[in-house]
Amino acid sequence: MINRVCKELFWKEFSSYFKTPLGYVFLVIFLFGTGYLTFEPGRGSFFIMREASLTSFFAYIPWMLLLLVPAVGMRLWAEERKSGTIELMFTLPITIRQAVLTKFFASWAFISVAILGTFPILFTVAYLGDPDWGVIFLGYLGSFLVAGSFLAVGCFFSALSKNQVISFILSIVACSVILMAASPPVLDFISTFSPKFVVDVFESLSVLNHFELMQRGVLQMSNIWFFAVTIGCWLYGNMILLKENRAS
Amino acid sequence: MTKKQENYLRAILSLFSMVFLLYSGTTLLKRVKIDFTEERLYALSDGTKSILAKLDSPIKLKLYYSKTAAQKGTEGLRVFNNHFTYIRELLRDYVANSRNNIELEVIDPRPDTPEEEDALAYGLRKFHLTETETYFFGIVAENESGTEKIIEFFDPAQKGNTEYELTKLIYSALNPKKKIIGVLSSLDVINEEVSPYVAQIMRMQGKSVQDSWLVTNLAREFHEVKKIALDSEQISGTDVLVVIHPKGFSERLNYAIDQYLLGGGKLLVFVDPAAISDPSVATAGGVSSSPDPGFAKLMEKWGIELKPKTFAGDKHLSASGRFDPNQPPGRLLAIMRCNQACTQGNDSPITGGLNNLTMVFPGALVKKDVEGIKHSALLATTDRGNSYTASGFQLNRPQILWRKFSEGTEPVVMAYKSVGKFKTAYPDGIPPDGKKEKKGKKAKAAKAQKKKAEHLMESKKESAVVIVADVDIINDQFAFKRSFLGPAIANQNSTLFLNAVEALIGSVDLLSVRTKGMVSRPFNAITAIELEAEKGTKDKVREINASIAKVQAELSQLGRKANEGNIAILQNVGLKKKKQLAKQIAGLKRELREVKRSGRERIEGIGKFFQLLNTVFIPIIVIILGIWYSNRRKWRMSQFGAPQEEKPVENKVLKSVGGEV
Repeated sequence: MINRVCKELFWKEFSSYFKTPLGYVFLVIFLFGTGYLTFEPGRGSFFIMREASLTSFFAYIPWMLLLLVPAVGMRLWAEERKSGTIELMFTLPITIRQAVLTKFFASWAFISVAILGTFPILFTVAYLGDPDWGVIFLGYLGSFLVAGSFLAVGCFFSALSKNQVISFILSIVACSVILMAASPPVLDFISTFSPKFVVDVFESLSVLNHFELMQRGVLQMSNIWFFAVTIGCWLYGNMILLKENRAS
Repeated sequence: MTKKQENYLRAILSLFSMVFLLYSGTTLLKRVKIDFTEERLYALSDGTKSILAKLDSPIKLKLYYSKTAAQKGTEGLRVFNNHFTYIRELLRDYVANSRNNIELEVIDPRPDTPEEEDALAYGLRKFHLTETETYFFGIVAENESGTEKIIEFFDPAQKGNTEYELTKLIYSALNPKKKIIGVLSSLDVINEEVSPYVAQIMRMQGKSVQDSWLVTNLAREFHEVKKIALDSEQISGTDVLVVIHPKGFSERLNYAIDQYLLGGGKLLVFVDPAAISDPSVATAGGVSSSPDPGFAKLMEKWGIELKPKTFAGDKHLSASGRFDPNQPPGRLLAIMRCNQACTQGNDSPITGGLNNLTMVFPGALVKKDVEGIKHSALLATTDRGNSYTASGFQLNRPQILWRKFSEGTEPVVMAYKSVGKFKTAYPDGIPPDGKKEKKGKKAKAAKAQKKKAEHLMESKKESAVVIVADVDIINDQFAFKRSFLGPAIANQNSTLFLNAVEALIGSVDLLSVRTKGMVSRPFNAITAIELEAEKGTKDKVREINASIAKVQAELSQLGRKANEGNIAILQNVGLKKKKQLAKQIAGLKRELREVKRSGRERIEGIGKFFQLLNTVFIPIIVIILGIWYSNRRKWRMSQFGAPQEEKPVENKVLKSVGGEV
């Protein structure tokens, strides 16, 4: 049974994005950016490839999310800490875990609205050809999960620092690392100071590999596990940081 | 331990546990998967499972992948890393389905190690990434008798073929008894005179060597392929007979084919009303067509006829291309790109699931009812396809072909399978060979033996013939392309050939693996506009040509009337007419440009519309909604003070929980 306070907090957080310019800026940039990049005049362009699939659309989603999700996540706790309302929140009849999850899900819901805002591409591809809807569904599911992972990272760094800019930069760096963990240049760098086993472990942390697999139309349990553990652990870290704050 | 230290410890521990959970969980749970693709691309096909279930001796697979080197490479190698992961997981599925008969070993060959030496000894392909790092990505299959089969390099671009390649590898490593494919052709399909090794040396010496057609080399991977001589009088010892471009065959040879089929043999026949793969066309010109009347007599008994000088065409399957380098690219009726539309509706393992075939001047087959024989269409055009006739120089003029073509209402069949009990085309027995009968004892003995040989009037048991109305479909030029790794399969033409051979032999397992592939999903809406625009273009071109012809006829008529008295007047009339014609043509050309431009602009317009829809439409709505919502809030605030939702949640909660907090 979801606590009534949690519901209130969820709606307050969710609606707050629509009361400030931040939410609109995010939506406009995200939707314009993905649309523009999908149709960008290059060899990989959706219209030039003439293939009724959303490969060229999903290719840019993780990179757009990398830039924009930390911007959504940065204010979650840093703002509360800076304005002091966090103290008030701790006095509410909800646990830290509930507070963290509620805020996280409210922001995730907002980002999901942004992702769902790309729906015209579905009409486009359905009008032009005969797409594989199973693959497209999985692509969207993957996009939601990537956004959730980045947001969990953003929540963690937002709780770490009172300064929103610092938490934004740290989030982007951390998200880039988990996004590109399987990139050979990154692995090469890791291999200069770590044994091979560590390099293999590092490679398995890549968000992009899991997303690309889903986007091709195959869902492994390991994908679900990966995103669930990533989100869960970063949020757990977030809770620890908040407890530490409250203790101090 | 203070609370602070405890929290730090928990944070560090949770970080490690996250990494551990991620690594172990993703490694363990990889095998559990759901395939969302329509074509079930990521699930093992039934054919592979069936082959694996039949394994009765152990096979060792050694997957060589230079992972350490790839992890140090460029970003481009990430594709290869992912492909390696895909193959490794696929092979683990193989192991799981093999009843412990397959053992998989993954090897990372580092430079200057025994593993690298082994990889080279097996014949795997080696690449240099840097001066020190080498790169391998291949596999070796070893059976218990020590026979090795390899895939020297996995190309991520050929991902759709991976399962087939791996299953083929295992199948060939099992070393089953090879079936024999006999190839009989008026063309040089098989060149057995020089071995590939000698051929390579000869080529290095600058000598020209005629290779066998690549499809036969593919067939050799599983079966034995032998050439049947054109002077054969009897065909035996082959499991399937492939007849390619039958023309100029002796009566005796046709009789031998007839009796081979009646004796229970299986036939795969490629005929063509215009085979451009025939080298004699290039040198001597003309049209090379088959079957000749002798072979057509056989086909008549099978209930199949290839209409001479008649071709199957389909506007919606016509390929885009350039016939003349000086002309802009356009649609070519002669080249047919068969997609799923050609094979849908038939559940034959030969063509079922094929969606990427290229045919050149395919012929139109017509079936006739013959008692005891059942025909089933394997390849056909769409409902809007039709047949058209053309000959000689017309075949080289795409515009003429388009003019001769009109849309039909029924599919034109380009390949049939006929099954049943066939009757002989030679009811009078062996035809005379035309040479003088040998005299003497030997001749008498031979005659007696021939009499002994049973002449079959009809099939004793059911047999099958597959007839494809295109020879070029299996020629290297149209079935393969050049790649940096040598010739590569360009489409599913070779698949059709191998499928037909294996279906006739009776090994259907490999078939279902091979036909698995990506379904092409073109922009149908755009193709329809292009076709419409091209139709308009063609009409205009026809109009222009008709006007030119008309004026030319008038001019020549004037020329005939000319004499010394009226020549000056007629010249004036002629000039006027020419000027008129030039004006008329200029007008028509303007209209032609207009048709072309409007087609192009419609496509560009659709592109722009969707680009705008996907880039600015929703953002504008978001902005409008944002402004409206902000104004509404401001208005409500000015009317009623702070709106309800503006109050901090804590206040509401504090009220609701009263003095407890």
